[in-house]
Amino acid sequence: MIKLLHVEDDADIREIALMALELSGDFDVVQCETGEAALKQVQSYTPDVILLDMMMPGMTGRQTLEKMREMDSLRDVPAIFMTARAQHNEIEELRDLGAADVISKPFDPIALADQVKAAMQAA
Amino acid sequence: MSSKSFNKRTAATFFLGTAISGSWYTATSALLTGEIIPVVGAIVLAGLTPFGVSALRPGGNSSLDNHDMAQRLRAFDSHAIVNILDTSGVLKQVNDRFTELTGYTRDQLIGQPVSMLYNERSCEIAAEMRAALKQGKTWQGETPLRCADGRVIQTQCTVMPLFNKNGDWTGSISARTDVTHANELLAERDTAETLYELRDDIWIVDAETHRFSYMNRVAMSRTGWRAEPYSERTLEDLGEKSGSHAILEVCKSLAASGKAMSQFDTEMFGSHFQVTVKLLPIGGKAGRFLIMLNDISDIINEERMKSEFISMVSHELRSPLTSIKGSMGLLLSRAAGELPSKARALLEISHRNADRLVLIINDILDLEKISTGQLEFNLEETDIAELLRETSAANSSLEQRHGVRIQVETTDAPMQVTTDPNRVIQVLTNFLSNAAKFSKPGERIIIRAEENDDELRISVSDRGQGIPASEEHKVFQRFADLSNSKRAEKGGTGLGLSVCKAIVENLGGKIGFDSREGFGTTFYFTLPKKNSQVAAEEPASLLREAS
Repeated sequence: MIKLLHVEDDADIREIALMALELSGDFDVVQCETGEAALKQVQSYTPDVILLDMMMPGMTGRQTLEKMREMDSLRDVPAIFMTARAQHNEIEELRDLGAADVISKPFDPIALADQVKAAMQAA
Repeated sequence: MSSKSFNKRTAATFFLGTAISGSWYTATSALLTGEIIPVVGAIVLAGLTPFGVSALRPGGNSSLDNHDMAQRLRAFDSHAIVNILDTSGVLKQVNDRFTELTGYTRDQLIGQPVSMLYNERSCEIAAEMRAALKQGKTWQGETPLRCADGRVIQTQCTVMPLFNKNGDWTGSISARTDVTHANELLAERDTAETLYELRDDIWIVDAETHRFSYMNRVAMSRTGWRAEPYSERTLEDLGEKSGSHAILEVCKSLAASGKAMSQFDTEMFGSHFQVTVKLLPIGGKAGRFLIMLNDISDIINEERMKSEFISMVSHELRSPLTSIKGSMGLLLSRAAGELPSKARALLEISHRNADRLVLIINDILDLEKISTGQLEFNLEETDIAELLRETSAANSSLEQRHGVRIQVETTDAPMQVTTDPNRVIQVLTNFLSNAAKFSKPGERIIIRAEENDDELRISVSDRGQGIPASEEHKVFQRFADLSNSKRAEKGGTGLGLSVCKAIVENLGGKIGFDSREGFGTTFYFTLPKKNSQVAAEEPASLLREAS
C-alpha cells in the first residue's frame, strides 16, 4: 500500500479524493485540513507521497512543502500539487520547487490514482 | 464673430486700425468719389478716436489741412487693409495694403465680388455682416481672407455701412488689420501654457550635451529643480537613483541610429512611467530630445487588481466544480454501486454540462487574460511535426467517443519553429474537438503541417457538415452559434475559436478556414518561422522566452 498524505482545506474535495484513491485499493490515505496540521502529522507519519492543495487558509501548499523539505525524512518524498490556478508559469514555478506533478482542478477522480502513481514513478 | 465679441485681446489693434480707416475715408471719400458722404469717417473718428474727434469737431484743430490729411493717409495706407463694396458686395475700391497683402492687383479685384476672397468660414460671416449693415450697424470681428497664392490670412475687421446724401445705403467700407501672426503667437502661448500645465512630465534636452532647456511644472516638481537650476543640469545629473539611466541610454541610441522616436516603460522616481523620447532635428542635425513621461502607476495597479480578481474568480468557481464533477464522476464509475438506468442517464447529462461549464470558465478566463495582456506565452524551439503526433495521441479519446479516425500527415523530418507548444496544442485540440463533433462515425480527420520559406501552415480537415457561407463571418466571434452547430446537443462554449484566434495572432500567425457546406471544413493557422519579429512587436510582458 502506498502511504499518501492529502492536505486540502475543502471537506468535499477531501471526501471525493479519498473515495477515488481508496477505489483503486492501492493507497493508505491520511488527510489534513491545513498545512499546519500536516506539519504536525508528519512528526509521527512519513508518507510515500504528498498530495497538496495550493490555496489554503494559513499556510499555502507551497509554504507547507518548503517546511517539509527542511525535514530529512521528507526531503525526497514526491509531492504533487492540486491547484485551481493552473497558469502555465505557476505550474513551472511549482515544478521548480520540486513538485513531481501539478494536477489542475477540477480533476478527474477516476484518473487520480493513476496520475499519482505515474508522478511517483517519474520522480 | 459678432460685434459683441470684440474682446480686450484685440482691442488695441482694432482701435488703431479703425481710427486710421476712419480718417482715411474722411479724406479719400471726398477726394475720390464725391458722392459718398464723408460722414462715415467722421462717425468712426468721432466715435473711436481722439485723433478723429480733434480732426472733425467744428472749431477743432485748425491745423487739419490737406498736408495733415496726406500724412494721415500715408500712415493709414501703411497700416490698414481697406476696401469699399457696393450693396451687391462687389469691390469698388481697395488700398495698396490690400493688394500687397492679398497678392491680387487692383485690376483683378475691382468689379469682382468680394466672395472671391472668402473661404468657408468667411461665407458664414458674410451673412451676419450683411444683416448688420442693412440695419445701419457697424460690424466688427475676425474674418479670414484668401490670398492669390491660396494662403488664408486672419484679419480683424470693422465694416461700416455707407449712405448717400439722401440717406440711402450705397455700400460698405471695411478696414482690416492682419492678425495672422498675432494669432499664431497666441496659439503658441496657449500651447506653451498647456504643456506647462500638462499632467505628463515634459523635458526638452540638448541632443549633444543632454542639458535641459525646458521642463514643465510637474517635471520641475518631480526633479526638485526650479526654472533656473534645470537649465544648468543634464540628464546625467538625475543620477542612477531616479531610474532615468534608461532614458539616457535611449537618447544615446537614438542619436547614434538616427531613429526618430522610442517608447518604453520604466520605473523612475518610485513610479511606473511610459516614456516617449522623440528626436527633434534642427537644420538636418540632431538638435533636441523631447521626452514625455506618462505616469502609468494607476493603470498598473488596476491591472494587478484585475489579475487578482481573475485568480480569485478562477479559484472560487473551480473549487465547487471540483466537488460537483468529482461526485458525479465517482457515481458514474459505480463507486457507490450500480445506478438505475434513468438515474445514470440524468447523471451523464449533469456530468457533461459540468464539463461544459469548466470549458466556459477556462475560455472566459483565457479571453480576459488575452485582452489584458496577462496570458503568458512561453516560447521555445519546437518540432511541430512531433507536436502534431503528440496532440493526435492525446486526443485519441475523441476517436472512441465519436467513432472517427485522426490521421497525421507530415514529413518525417523535424519542422522547427520558435513558439509556445502548449498554446499550439490548445488551438489544435480545439480544432480536433470541433472536427470530431461534426464528423460522421467512420470518417477521417486529417492533421497536416506544411512549410514554406517564412511560415508553417497547420490544418485540421474534416468531411463534416461544413459551415453555411452566410454564417462564415460569425465563426471567430465570441459565443458564435451557427444555425447548424447544434450546440446544446454537441456541447461547446462558442468561445473556443475566438480564444484560438487570439492565441494564434499573439504568436504572430494567422487563422482561417475553408469550408463547403455538406462537404467538410479545413481550419488552419500559420506560425512564423522566425519568432524574434513577433517578440519585438509584442509587449515584453506577453511573450517570454523559456529558460
